[in-house]
Amino acid sequence: MPATHFGVKYAVHIITSHFGNLVAKVCENLLKRGPLTLRLLIGFTELTPQQVKNSLLILIQHNCVQPFSVDQAEGPKVTQYVALIDNILHRWRFAKFMTVVSQEFDKECELIIKDLLENGRLTLKQITEGEYAVKDTVEKSFLKLVNAHFVERCPAPEAVLEEASKDAPKKRGPKSSKIVEVPETIEQRVVAVAAPSAAMRFSILTDSETDAHGGSSSSMSTGDKRKHDALELDEFANNEVVLWRANFEEFIRCLRHKACVENVRARLDDGAALVLRAMLKSTRTAEKKVKTENSVPVSFSTIYEEVINSEAGRNLTCDRVKASLSLLCDERDVDEDESYSVDLKKILELAQNDEVESIVLKRYGRDAYKMFRLLSTSSRALETDKISDMTLVEKKETPTILYKLWNDEYLLMERLAVTGARQAQFLVWKVDRPIVWKHVLDEMFHAALNLSLRLAYEDEQIKEVQLLPAHKRTGPLGKQWQRFRNVVYVMHASQLKIDDAIMLFHDF
Amino acid sequence: MFCRLKVCNFCNSLRASSFSSAEQSFTVVLGETKNEREAPGAIPVYLVHWIIAMSKRKQPDSSSPADSLSQNERILYNVIHGKQDMGIWTRDMKKETNLPDKVFNAALKTLQAKKLIQEVVNVQSKGRKHYIATEFEPSKELTGGAWYSEGKLDKDYINLVKDQFAKMIYQQKVATLEGIADAIRKTKIFKTEFTKQQTEEIVRDLVLDNRVMEVKSTGMGEFASIQIGKVCYKCKSKGGTRGETKVGAMASIPCGVCPRISQCTPDGIISPSTCVYFAKWLDF
Ligand code: SF4
Repeated sequence: MPATHFGVKYAVHIITSHFGNLVAKVCENLLKRGPLTLRLLIGFTELTPQQVKNSLLILIQHNCVQPFSVDQAEGPKVTQYVALIDNILHRWRFAKFMTVVSQEFDKECELIIKDLLENGRLTLKQITEGEYAVKDTVEKSFLKLVNAHFVERCPAPEAVLEEASKDAPKKRGPKSSKIVEVPETIEQRVVAVAAPSAAMRFSILTDSETDAHGGSSSSMSTGDKRKHDALELDEFANNEVVLWRANFEEFIRCLRHKACVENVRARLDDGAALVLRAMLKSTRTAEKKVKTENSVPVSFSTIYEEVINSEAGRNLTCDRVKASLSLLCDERDVDEDESYSVDLKKILELAQNDEVESIVLKRYGRDAYKMFRLLSTSSRALETDKISDMTLVEKKETPTILYKLWNDEYLLMERLAVTGARQAQFLVWKVDRPIVWKHVLDEMFHAALNLSLRLAYEDEQIKEVQLLPAHKRTGPLGKQWQRFRNVVYVMHASQLKIDDAIMLFHDF
Repeated sequence: MFCRLKVCNFCNSLRASSFSSAEQSFTVVLGETKNEREAPGAIPVYLVHWIIAMSKRKQPDSSSPADSLSQNERILYNVIHGKQDMGIWTRDMKKETNLPDKVFNAALKTLQAKKLIQEVVNVQSKGRKHYIATEFEPSKELTGGAWYSEGKLDKDYINLVKDQFAKMIYQQKVATLEGIADAIRKTKIFKTEFTKQQTEEIVRDLVLDNRVMEVKSTGMGEFASIQIGKVCYKCKSKGGTRGETKVGAMASIPCGVCPRISQCTPDGIISPSTCVYFAKWLDF
């Protein structure tokens, strides 16, 4: 789902807190106005060219902005910059990414990822000479990470797009983000073109080999084709250097799998969760894209092998695994050659339903909750009386509740006039998933932003106490301090949780 | 049939002064009366005798209050009666009978006093006075059906039924509709038997409540005894108890359920730093 109005605000907030106001200003303009040239950026931000350039360099270094140009038949090529909102939002999740690495790899790998996340892009040399590195082993660890697709080569310093087709949306933003079938945004096109070829992306070649191969992708922005209005990005364009970065996509894929497994655990049982985890683990590298709807088909023997590989799965018999598979997969998900595939989209949709329904329950009460559940599963709009009958809610109360939900954009309403012997008017109601989902996602971004702002406020309030040495924080001050620590604890936990929900709606 | 007899002041013969019965015989009586011209409205003795004889034969009906209605009352009664089990709203009655208010009200009162009609609560629109002929049972549209009593949804009863149903489903682990209905019948907790539709209604409500979930039988494991593909029900939580819906990420923080969220901005009057909901939430 595309980012929403508050999604953009939240992204700007993240950049402000990580890189300060200047960088945030540049980023905000890119997010709100869509791709811009350097000159336009300077105009809009009213910053000095140097400030804008520096800000862009930081944003590019941290994978938050991608330069590109459009291959036009005539006129000079002009470099434009597009903000990558997903990557900006990922910055809030680095702790989660670290957890993923720590569960799968050794300490050294963890440190490499940490290094990459903190610095955005690094050469192999920078990595191996990093703070904690012991050269022999660090290279091995690095290899492991690249092979597992957790580290990838950086995209081309500048993507060159084919001349924009007419229907490609020029501008991203809350208005252009039509729901249902999202046309490819310019951001997506740029990312796709800039990405190294599948073969190069995770290939580790020695430095000399890299020169020969890597040259092709980065050469397009160097040499005599120096464009006007472009940044001096020599350090990125230099084809002597191969830059590496953490592959966010792989992290998100892992988190997505994890979310699916946990949802299955809650809905079915531990056995089914174990089986699903085994299936996803054994096919992870074969997945083509993050938002894969159905898991890659895999044979029973492979699943079983993977299941008994884990400690918890060791005592599962073939029959139990088969029983779990029958719960996980519909008949049509099983091939003739007995390979199984799970409808991941469905699992995630159910999890999304739970989240939205729980908001409705808490905000509008149990009767509204029942109505919302009824309408979101109904294939057609239902009439007020029918809803009241089907949910066993008092006839008189039903319209009031429905109206409230409609007013807050959780329902759609339509008036139907029936002409006949007696004129009558009926109201029919329905849940339009894409609209509600987008609305909920926007509120989630809003809520996440608010949590963060409130935490900053609490932090500000406690500044003086915080500066005191520990032994002086006694009496009322001690109490204040203790309260603050509780606040931080609760807020952090909530931030993680709300970010899980945002991922569920935005990234999975 | 009803007939009040009186001795005629003119001829000393026995005459009927007021009289009502099945309309047909009344017309016949009038049509054949020669005396009619001499004393309008009077009925000859021999007919009175005949009427008495008839009324004796049909004794049980003879006291029906419907027989003694005035013309206006009858008009009104016929309108209400004509609507059968649907009854009719007072305003519609006025429209259809076209009687002046005073007459209308009096007639309505009489009909009620004679227990020919009764007021019923219409669940669709409780503010409107609705009447129905006593002869009919109010329709489901009026009463709201089995789960309504006196025009009000009987929530306590519904909850009781739902709890019992949930218990049965829990005991059976996976239950079909028939299985649930059977189990309920065997407990003999409820005096009445539930129709198939009522059973479905209650189970659907449990599903909407998220206490029970709908699953399709796979024919394996716990479904072994159930035909593949058949819709079954399972309890979501232990004992199918109420109110155990998982609280989502949004629902567990103030902003997620905030009624003011659309007015809340970082530097506005309503903002995260001035927010009362946050203050309450973080009041340890
Ligand atoms: S900060 Fe307070 S007022 Fe604003 S949305 Fe959150 S709970 Fe509501």
